[in-house]
Amino acid sequence: MFLEMVEDDRTEQDREWIRRMASKDADALDAFYTRYNRLAFSLVLRIVSNREDAEDVLMDVFWQVWQQASRYDVSRGKPVAWLLTIARTRAIDRLRSTGRHEVATSDPDKHNDPTAAPAQPDPFVQTDTRKAVHEALQSLQEQQRIPVEMAYFQGMSHTEIAAALGQPLGTVKDRIRTGIMHLRKRLRPYL
Amino acid sequence: MNMRHTELTDDLQERASLFAAGAMSDSERLEYARHLDEDQCTVCQAEVKELQSAISMLAFSVPSSSPSPTVKVRLMQQARQAVPVSRPQPAGFRWLQWATAIIALTSVAVALSFMRTNGELRRETDALKSRIARLEVQLAERQDTIATLTRAGVRVVDLAGQGPNTQASGRIFWDQSKKQWLFSVRNLPPAPADKDYQLWFVPKNGLPISAKVFNTEADGSVTIEVPVPDTATNLNAAAVTTEPAGGLPQPTGPFALLGAM
Repeated sequence: MFLEMVEDDRTEQDREWIRRMASKDADALDAFYTRYNRLAFSLVLRIVSNREDAEDVLMDVFWQVWQQASRYDVSRGKPVAWLLTIARTRAIDRLRSTGRHEVATSDPDKHNDPTAAPAQPDPFVQTDTRKAVHEALQSLQEQQRIPVEMAYFQGMSHTEIAAALGQPLGTVKDRIRTGIMHLRKRLRPYL
Repeated sequence: MNMRHTELTDDLQERASLFAAGAMSDSERLEYARHLDEDQCTVCQAEVKELQSAISMLAFSVPSSSPSPTVKVRLMQQARQAVPVSRPQPAGFRWLQWATAIIALTSVAVALSFMRTNGELRRETDALKSRIARLEVQLAERQDTIATLTRAGVRVVDLAGQGPNTQASGRIFWDQSKKQWLFSVRNLPPAPADKDYQLWFVPKNGLPISAKVFNTEADGSVTIEVPVPDTATNLNAAAVTTEPAGGLPQPTGPFALLGAM
């Protein structure tokens, strides 16, 4: 209960920063960046697998947040989800433009840590959120988890995933659907 | 697809899932995005919102990495330059202002250097000697602290500023053998006269346990030692809240600092 109160406070503060960014208050951008740069960077780095590219993309992501803050729609979800959607989209665009898009792997786990540096805890991310996500992924059947991760982290379409895994297209679509449904059910308290 | 749906079917749920996961082909994605925006289909919009939030949680499964500090420097420079200036002045005028200011400051500095007497220099020397003595004492204290912090079995927990205190930070050095926290705070402005800060042990289950009531110095810093009671087990977080002076049995005020264990 205590940490849920913190989460609500955090979301409300994120929304306040977005409102201030819409009025071109650079201090709000500074605060928003301070809170989320590591989370967004980790995602982008996981996708593009190159620090230099990842830092370029990160810059673009927060610049887009700054430029489009006035277009953020509260009804579309939490600011952090909005930020991560932008980060994922920008990273996939970069992946495709650099031609480093890796086709076909049945082992997405090998990408889990594309950096040589050891992982360090992010003081701005609750440990129990990470734990809940890990548990949700662990509880997902592998045949659902793999296509979901191939789509999200590698930007592969259902057709590409079906070809890579040698599975019928309908099966892949259904597994992505049931996989995401399962994640939503398990992670609902955090959405 | 050119309509507003009235109920969510399996087929619509599958499309929303594929869109949220980014697994649609380019043409499918464009058509579906058009459906969401132009048709204003609230059924599909609501489903996509939830599913995008759910799948974006995958970001929390990635090992944490930090970007170079130069990214923030570049971003903030670009943002501050982009903020419109309320009353722009011609470039030539700004140059003249700068030149005038530099000449004026140089003149003042030269004048002050001539005005300085031997007596003033002596007083400055005495003040510096006194300051060196104080620094030597502080250095000895710091060396003692470093010796404590570098002992084996000391765990470090970082706390981040909350609410209006985003620039604040805290760090706990948890000496598990001595059952003691050394808690250090930076950039947290002193609490108002009728308030204090209160540090809490936050267990995974059960209510927070008060650890210490404190306030920061004028420069926003403080370092305190906190004994960890045997009842404070299975900790999930450490938190600092602002409470009425003297503290309370349970937190009621806003968070000033928070860190996960």
